[in-house]
Amino acid sequence: MTRPLPSAVVSDLSEIVGRRHVITDPDRLLVYESDGLTAYRIPPRAVVLPASTEEISAVVEVLHRKGVAVIPRGAGTGLSGGALSTPGGVIVGMARMNRILTIDPENRIARAQPGVINAHLTEATSPYGLYYPPDPSSQSACTLGGNVAENSGGPHCLKYGVTARYVTGLTVVLAGGRVMQLGGVGRDPYTTLDLVGLFVGSEGCFGIATEIEIRLLPITEGVRTLLGIFESVESAGRAVTKIIASGLMPAAVEIVDGPTIQAVEASVFAAGYPLEAGAALVIEFDGTEAGLDLDADRAEGYCLEEGAIEVQRATDPEHRTKLWRARKKAFGAMGRIAPDLLVQDATVPRTKLPEVLAGIDDIGSRYGLKIANVFHAGDGNLHPNILFDRQNQKELELVERASKEIMQLCVDAGGTITGEHGVGLDKREYMTLVYGPAELQAMAAAKQVFDPDSLFNPGKVLPEVEGAELGVAMKASTVS
Amino acid sequence: MRVDPADSLSEILPAEAFGHSVPASLSAALRTDVESVVAPGSPEEVAALLRWASKTAVGVVPVGTGAHTYPRYPSDPFVVLTTSRLTEIGHYEPADLTLTASAGARVGDLSTAMAVHGQWLPFDPPDVPNRTLGGLVAAGLSGPLWAGYGQLRNHVLGATVVCGDGRVLKLGGRVVKNVAGFDILKPMVGSRGDLAVITSLTVRLFPLPAVDRLLIVEASDISELVSTARAIATAPVMPASIVLSSTSVGGRLLVRLHGVSDSVGADQRRLEEHTSVSFDIRNVYELGDLLEGERDRDITGEFAVRLWALPSRIDELLVAVGQIPGVNLTADVYGGSVRVYLPDNLSDIKSVLMRLREDVENLGGTIRALRVPAEVDAFSYFTKPLVDERELATGLKQVFDPHGVLWRVE
Ligand SMILES: Cc1cc2nc3c(=O)[nH]c(=O)nc-3n(C[C@H](O)[C@H](O)[C@H](O)COP(=O)(O)OP(=O)(O)OC[C@H]3O[C@@H](n4cnc5c(N)ncnc54)[C@H](O)[C@@H]3O)c2cc1C
Repeated sequence: MTRPLPSAVVSDLSEIVGRRHVITDPDRLLVYESDGLTAYRIPPRAVVLPASTEEISAVVEVLHRKGVAVIPRGAGTGLSGGALSTPGGVIVGMARMNRILTIDPENRIARAQPGVINAHLTEATSPYGLYYPPDPSSQSACTLGGNVAENSGGPHCLKYGVTARYVTGLTVVLAGGRVMQLGGVGRDPYTTLDLVGLFVGSEGCFGIATEIEIRLLPITEGVRTLLGIFESVESAGRAVTKIIASGLMPAAVEIVDGPTIQAVEASVFAAGYPLEAGAALVIEFDGTEAGLDLDADRAEGYCLEEGAIEVQRATDPEHRTKLWRARKKAFGAMGRIAPDLLVQDATVPRTKLPEVLAGIDDIGSRYGLKIANVFHAGDGNLHPNILFDRQNQKELELVERASKEIMQLCVDAGGTITGEHGVGLDKREYMTLVYGPAELQAMAAAKQVFDPDSLFNPGKVLPEVEGAELGVAMKASTVS
Repeated sequence: MRVDPADSLSEILPAEAFGHSVPASLSAALRTDVESVVAPGSPEEVAALLRWASKTAVGVVPVGTGAHTYPRYPSDPFVVLTTSRLTEIGHYEPADLTLTASAGARVGDLSTAMAVHGQWLPFDPPDVPNRTLGGLVAAGLSGPLWAGYGQLRNHVLGATVVCGDGRVLKLGGRVVKNVAGFDILKPMVGSRGDLAVITSLTVRLFPLPAVDRLLIVEASDISELVSTARAIATAPVMPASIVLSSTSVGGRLLVRLHGVSDSVGADQRRLEEHTSVSFDIRNVYELGDLLEGERDRDITGEFAVRLWALPSRIDELLVAVGQIPGVNLTADVYGGSVRVYLPDNLSDIKSVLMRLREDVENLGGTIRALRVPAEVDAFSYFTKPLVDERELATGLKQVFDPHGVLWRVE
């Protein structure tokens, strides 16, 4: 049972943000006890919802003075348990930090608060002919702050790169409530070390991003979307390798495998894919209208060479939405065929996709688990989704063992344990698959530079070493 | 005082590490005579050297070729470490578009290997073919092509680095998407050797564009080209780069378009409509000399600085620079940075620099020394990091170079 916050602390926080925005009622706290990774649940002691950098700074000051850990939280769509509380921790939510502060079309930058929903930024900048490229599949719900913390990707990051490429400056609140400015367009990016680059991807463990300066790109003139249907995921994987190696620069290359197609077709999201298909490959080209058909012709040729049963091409928005449907609705559809879904995330060199996918299939059969793959194939970023029932303790254990084997398989193929969802709570123990003690120690020491007492999101990302938190002791709350 | 490396280090490094020639411009950059350099042949030898340096309190100045070292003052005594013997091309998987190479490999040599597979590293800072991969990354230089491809920092996928105290760290990996752990690789890019010696790197490559077209406009004065350049930078077309440069007879605007012939043709027409300018057109694959000449101009000059400001204020930057007699410049119009080449015989250098700094900082921008004559202090006339950033950078320096063997963080 989580201890409630002492009333003096509650009243200090209420003075800063208003009593309405300090949530302590256990029923209302339930919403915050997990994130997109539903396997874990830890209720926070309280949730505070500030509305400005100043308020965040003051809130952090109060909590850190009492030695209470702060867990930043965006929309809670994270899939690695990053926004989960620690016992004794208080969640600082970004729900009221939802304003776009400036849009500067001349310099193609925007400044926004971290609670702004990813898709809202592009909605706001499109009248200027500009957009924000990173497009996580959760973009209608997840926040820019969460994207910064996870260095999120998305289908179109194949051509355009992930969040880090677009974050040019940050206002951050660090330990004790200290406000700092990092980077910013218009200054030499290397007047000092790349602190913005280091903060991006720090999973809420360094501090809270309270304002984000973001680079925008001009909206592209045209789009071509192809949907290739294949007999097997291996042949779809080979088509991907061929397309990438040929010198084409698709904006997105995504694969949906047979089990996923079956789940989608059985759901309200049915997209009309053939049920017997082993895989569907979505390929998109964007850019200057002239030339797109040529690219699409070449990609179509490679798909057919690798045995595609059929290839459809969309030029209008409606048809494009239809071709994307199975990809976009995959997670939702899977939710309907199993009570629980573990969305795994790992990256392998693109050329290793066929052998790794075969290996994952084998792991699924050995454990008797249903695994459906939906993934960013162009980047080699896999999402093996394990379907299970959390109430079945035995199955839960099998899921954990299968997950670990999948991670090992990806690492052995020259890959890594997460491509975009982060380490969070879920993958801490896998960190030793990719890093040795020296690297982990250096990461712990880098965190300490920003957060010396480990009061931001403790217990995440870095593994426990011989029972102790790496580098820094996890401080027990001093509030009695 | 300099340490004679052959004397002190012969027990920990093999004979091949000694007796290498000293790059000519290194003494000018380090503001002291450099008589010898040490060239370790492996990360282990780099680590041995750094451990020795930590123990004996000798500074280590890491360089690639040494030709582009920024002006700084090494601690005393010091040895210069060059990566010139770390030149191996490691894992190159063309189908993955990734390449691993040792830090001392020349970018030009890598380009030759990549071109066979129709691939390249799309970065074009001055003298890029002669730079080492490690030097390019340590300097964090992308060149104007970053407009179309993003900055170098986003394409460094992994690195092996040796920290100031000899710890070897393997950071990142060789996949294009990787968020495992805190990104301590990012601060290595652009760290100029402050934190660690980079010994190998994995980078993301790109397919060479089928068409690489150069659009040129010339005018008797660079100021006549600024508004066209900015119009192109805000047009709904993404050029690969937009460069404005001064020449002896006026100014020149160079816009590069990459793609297939249909798309490049269409982009050109859209830019012509948008700016009402008609361009002189070159094919870079057939006639790249002009472009290379612009890129590499004045690389041996004694006096160069780099300015930054918001791209929309580039006209004001150019006005500030234009007040200095006899300067030449190259501006990255999309990024808002200007390389300024000052004449060697400039009188009253210090007050010129002081005024330039004031003008640039009043625009919210920054100024940094690339090469400055010996009488100009390497720090006084240039923009300091923000106080907060400096504090965090000093903390990180402690993490990676606890004994301060490598450069001081300025
Ligand atoms: C259906 C679905 C599809 C998804 N698709 C993708 C995808 O394609 N690509 C992808 O990369 N991810 C994807 N995700 C994962 C998730 O949406 C991203 O990680 C997203 O960036 C999380 O944002 P959030 O606002 O929900 O953050 P949260 O889940 O609330 O938090 C995530 C982490 O960020 C930290 N944090 C939040 N705000 C701040 C802040 N202001 N300052 C500092 N730290 C902060 C938290 O402490 C936590 O560690 C998907 C998730 C779902 C449920």
